[in-house]
Amino acid sequence: MKDNRFIERSLMGAVSFLKDSVFADEYAGKKGFLQARDPRVKVAAILLLVLCVLFSREIAFIAAIYLICLLLAVCSSIRLPFFLGRTWLFIPVFALFIAIPSIFSILTPGERLSVFKIGNLSLSVSRQGLAGAAIFFSRVLVSVSLCVLLSLTTRHYALLKVLRIFRVPQVFVMTLGMCYRYIFLFIGIIQDTYTAIKSRCGYVLSSVKGQKIVAWNIATLWQRSYRMQNQIYDAMLSRGYSGEVHILDELRAGGKDIVFLAGAAFIFLFILWRTYFLN
Amino acid sequence: MANIFFELKQACYSYLGKFPALRGVDLTVEQGAKVAVIGANGTGKSTLLAMLDALIFPDRGSVKAFGRNLDEKMLNDADFSRVFRRRVGLVFQNPDTQLFCPTVKEDIIFGPLQLRVRSSDVAKRLEKVSTELKLTALLDRSPYQLSIGEKKKVAIASVLAIQPEVLLLDEPTAGLDPQTTRDIIDILIAENRSGTTLVTATHDLHIVEEIADTVHIFGEEKNIIHSAPPEEVLSDQQFLQSHNLIHIHRHRHKDAGVSHAHQHDVKHHR
Repeated sequence: MKDNRFIERSLMGAVSFLKDSVFADEYAGKKGFLQARDPRVKVAAILLLVLCVLFSREIAFIAAIYLICLLLAVCSSIRLPFFLGRTWLFIPVFALFIAIPSIFSILTPGERLSVFKIGNLSLSVSRQGLAGAAIFFSRVLVSVSLCVLLSLTTRHYALLKVLRIFRVPQVFVMTLGMCYRYIFLFIGIIQDTYTAIKSRCGYVLSSVKGQKIVAWNIATLWQRSYRMQNQIYDAMLSRGYSGEVHILDELRAGGKDIVFLAGAAFIFLFILWRTYFLN
Repeated sequence: MANIFFELKQACYSYLGKFPALRGVDLTVEQGAKVAVIGANGTGKSTLLAMLDALIFPDRGSVKAFGRNLDEKMLNDADFSRVFRRRVGLVFQNPDTQLFCPTVKEDIIFGPLQLRVRSSDVAKRLEKVSTELKLTALLDRSPYQLSIGEKKKVAIASVLAIQPEVLLLDEPTAGLDPQTTRDIIDILIAENRSGTTLVTATHDLHIVEEIADTVHIFGEEKNIIHSAPPEEVLSDQQFLQSHNLIHIHRHRHKDAGVSHAHQHDVKHHR
C-alpha cells in the first residue's frame, strides 16, 4: 500500500525543528565566554565580524575569522559537532549550489584550470571563477556561523531587547516576541488535532483526504488564533498596555565586554585598512 | 457605611449586537468582600468579569467602579485608565492568553512597567510575588515550557505584581490538581486578608465556601437568579441540580452502589 504519511512526517519535522530551538536555548543558559557578555556588546561585536567577512577579499582573512568563530564557540561551551551540523547544513550548502555555475569559464572567463566534456559540450573551470565561488561560499558560511553563534549564546528575549535598544520599531520587536511565544502553542494544537484525527481515522489516509484534513486544520487554527488574538489584546489592556510597551533595562556592560568589542573593532579596522588602503 | 467598589444596574451586553451574554444584571461589590459567581457554562460569568475590568461596556444599564460610571470614553483617558488598571486586575481563564511575554519574569513585570511603577519597586514586587508563589526557579523560563498549574500561578503572579485592590478571577482552579488548587486558594485567602477584594467566577463548588462570603448564581437567562451566603447556596441541592451546578453521580459507598446528587466535595468521600 502506498505510504501517505506525508502529513505526519511534515508535522514531526516541524516539531523536531522547534524542539531543537528549545534545546538551543539551553546553550544560552550555560556558563561560557559569550553567554557572559552583555547582549548589546555581543550583537555589535558579531555585526563587526560579519562586516569584516563582507569587506574582506582574501580567503585567508575569512578563514581566520572562521577560526575565531570556532574558538568562541568552544569557549562558550558549545559542542563543535553540534555547531558544525547547524552551520554547514542548508544555507552554506545551498550557497555552494548557487556558486557552482560561476566556476566555469562560460560565466567567469579567465585562466583555465581543467576541462570537462559533457557530450559535445566542453566546460572549463577558470581560476578566477573558482576563487570567486570560494569567496562567496566562505562569506556565506562564516556569516551564517557568526549569526548562529550569536543566537545560540543569547536568550531570544535578550536579542529582542537589543533590537529595541538599536531602535528597531517596537511593533516589529513585539510581534517577533509573540511569534516565538505562540508558535509553540499552535504547534501543540496542531499535534493534538492530528493525534485526534489519527485516533479516529487510523494511520493510512488517501492523499486527497489527507489534503482536505490539512486544509480543515489550517482553517481551524486560523479561527483559533484569530479569537486568541482578541483575548491576548484584552489581557494586555487589562495590565495597563496603552500602545507603547515599557521594558526594564537591566543590561550592564563590564570591562571584559569593552575588551571584546574593542577586539572586534580592531579586526574590522585592520581588514578595512589592509583591503582598501594598503594597496 | 461600606465602601462600594462596583455597582451594576440592569447591565446588558450582547456579542456582535445579537448574541446576548448578560441580561439585566444587578450587582454590588463592597471593598474587601469575597464574592463568587457560579453558574453553568455560557451563563455570562466571564462576560461579567470582562465588564468589571472595563474591557467591555454595557449596551444598556450601567456599571460604576469606585463611584464613577465606566464607559469607553473614560477608559480612553490615559490618567483614568492607568489609575483604574492599577486598582483592578483580571486573571483570565486561559493562562495562555495572559502569558504573552517571552519569559515568566517579563510576564510578571509587564503590568507594573506599563503602569509606570518605578524600576526599583518593580524589582521588589517581582521578588515578593515570585517568592510567595514559589516561582523563583521559573523566572527565566518561557511560559510554553510550564505545566498548566505553573501557568495559572504565573498568571496570578502577573496580576498580583500590579498590587490591585480588586482581584477578578475567571475559573482560577479549573483543571488543576488538588495540591495546586489548594495553593491557589491559600494565595487568594491571604490576598483577601490583606485587604484585596475578590470576585471569582467558578464551577468548583468545593472552593466556594473558602473564597466567598456571598455567592451569586447565574441562570440560563444570563442574569443573577439567586444571591446568598455559600453555606445556604451549597445546602440547597435541588436548586443546584436544577441549574446544572451538580449532577447525579453513581459511585460505591463501601459495599453498596449509590446514586445521588454530587458536587465533588472531598469531604463526601471520607
